Amino acid sequence: MRTFIERTGERTLGAIEELGYAFSLCIESLYWLLAGPFLQQPVRLSAVVAEMMKIGVLAVPVVLLLAFANGAMMAIQGLATLREFGAESQVVAGIAYSVTREFGVLIAAIVVAGRSGSAIAARIGSMQMSQEVDALRVMGVEPVRHLVAPILLAMLIMMPVLTMFANAAAIIGGGIYTSMTLSMPLAVFIEQCFDVLDWSDLAQGLYKALVFGTLIALIACANGFSVSGGAEGLGRFTTRSVVLSIAAIVVADMIFTYFLNR
Amino acid sequence: MSYQVDEKDGYAVVRLTGEVDLNRSPDARRVILDCLQKKMPLLVDLSGVDYIDSSGVASLVEGYQLSRSRQLDFGLIGVSDAAMNVLRLARLDKVFPIYASLEARLKDTR
Amino acid sequence: MPQAATVTASATPYAIEVEDLVSYYDSRRILDEVSLRVRPGEIMVVMGGSGSGKSTLLRHLLGLNRPAAGRVSLFGADISQASARELYQLRRRMGVSFQNGALFNSMTVEENVAFPLREHTRLDERTIRIMARMKLEVVNLAGFERLMPAQLSGGMIKRAALARALVMDPSLLFFDEPSAGLDPVVSADLDELILRLRDALRVTILVVTHELDSAFRIADRITVLDQGRILITGTVEEVRNSPSERVQNLLNRRSEEIDVDPEEYLRRLTD
Repeated sequence: MRTFIERTGERTLGAIEELGYAFSLCIESLYWLLAGPFLQQPVRLSAVVAEMMKIGVLAVPVVLLLAFANGAMMAIQGLATLREFGAESQVVAGIAYSVTREFGVLIAAIVVAGRSGSAIAARIGSMQMSQEVDALRVMGVEPVRHLVAPILLAMLIMMPVLTMFANAAAIIGGGIYTSMTLSMPLAVFIEQCFDVLDWSDLAQGLYKALVFGTLIALIACANGFSVSGGAEGLGRFTTRSVVLSIAAIVVADMIFTYFLNR
Repeated sequence: MSYQVDEKDGYAVVRLTGEVDLNRSPDARRVILDCLQKKMPLLVDLSGVDYIDSSGVASLVEGYQLSRSRQLDFGLIGVSDAAMNVLRLARLDKVFPIYASLEARLKDTR
Repeated sequence: MPQAATVTASATPYAIEVEDLVSYYDSRRILDEVSLRVRPGEIMVVMGGSGSGKSTLLRHLLGLNRPAAGRVSLFGADISQASARELYQLRRRMGVSFQNGALFNSMTVEENVAFPLREHTRLDERTIRIMARMKLEVVNLAGFERLMPAQLSGGMIKRAALARALVMDPSLLFFDEPSAGLDPVVSADLDELILRLRDALRVTILVVTHELDSAFRIADRITVLDQGRILITGTVEEVRNSPSERVQNLLNRRSEEIDVDPEEYLRRLTD
């Protein structure tokens, strides 16, 4: 019979162990990315490109669609709220700041977490179950170098790119609604956006993109390698990977925003 | 591994000695392909080979294939038991022309 | 590049040496002071039922598990003490045929077989392709190089996995349950192939299996594991004629009476 305290303790230990594991995956991946070429065990460029395709390029349509809709939504809400104060023209600044600092990257990250977080966990998990990961290891091919490092690098490249796409789509989405409502030409809206925006606003989103990308990659890989318990286990860890990465993204975003906007 | 190329009776004879393994077979491959590029009929002497792995055998296969496309004579001579075992495992003993020596090749009227 | 010979610093007459190996899974003792020595060129078969610890022993030999106590050496090099570089050199000298093949599902048969060469050597692409196809010839899979693993039967997957294990010309080969899931004829073919490989390449082979027929066909020596302990290690004849009741039970496939400690049993059920 185990007490509540014992179980809480075990879970806490488990969580700390998992954090440590994800962190070690990160360090090992960076090690292989940097030292691999000198040890004649490089991270394959072809693998990185393949991951960039899967993580980034194929996610573009969904990211564009969601970001566009989100931008339009912000314009609708913003105009409705600001109308009460007669400050409708301020909607431009509102959209420009919140998209570049916050929502562009958040949408990109959630789409990638949903699409790639689950796919990566499932792929590594099924390789783990079929002993492909063991096979790599006994062949002298480090699974972290072969599987994790390309994913991490591809995330670090593609998340900022997707974020820029999302920023553009959201601003256009907001712009189209605003231009229809306020009879302000879209070009003027976009021009005003550029006027209020500073490089630091864009940078804020891009920093976050790097952090979120790292979180998604590590959480997905760590869950993939932890898969046990057959098909049911595979499903459980895949779902867990998505839920955990979205939770991690939102929490990290809050912390980030707090420190960047004080 | 070391190698030595002699020309004798119209044949280039490449004599490989030592261990032909993953690290050293690319040298053997280059020598064999070079000789064939010069349009010389070629015999590869394996009598001094202590060990040959499948990368070495693969180089021989590639050489034999090139010699056939250029209609040049190609053969293995002095195949040791160890080398023969490796060839036999992949049934390549039935593919390569194998002779005891250069003299044996010259007497053979095939 | 220096060959793996650098790892074989301490000269030993054994290809595999296991000394007093102890292994735990959680708090359960899976291997209890297991010792085993395999000579170069020998075929050693590790036999035991499920739960005997034979799979765990194999994982230790492959360097996938760390021993709680004891030592595992391959070619005289202690693999739990080996540096990453030494372990890498050792692994270039071993080939493993996993129970279900463990072929990479995203690659064709030929890409699977060529994979270790592409990772570890700088051979010309044409040489690599010839080598991969030669190994597929050896395992009688010529003509299947472009298929994906999902398109192969169980026996073909095992043979493709064997071709991949052989492609670096290893001096040490491991088989995990080579006959599991195969019909008797296919399984006998695979045994025949294992014997041919040993004769042609002088490679040391360790086979983990629960199949008696297969074990008796291929083994030079057999070691019988039972509940984490070695019951006997000896030639086929010695094992067959063993006076030990447990060994005989295992050979005759009788389910054996497990010693019951009533106190312990009750505790297990109620704890």
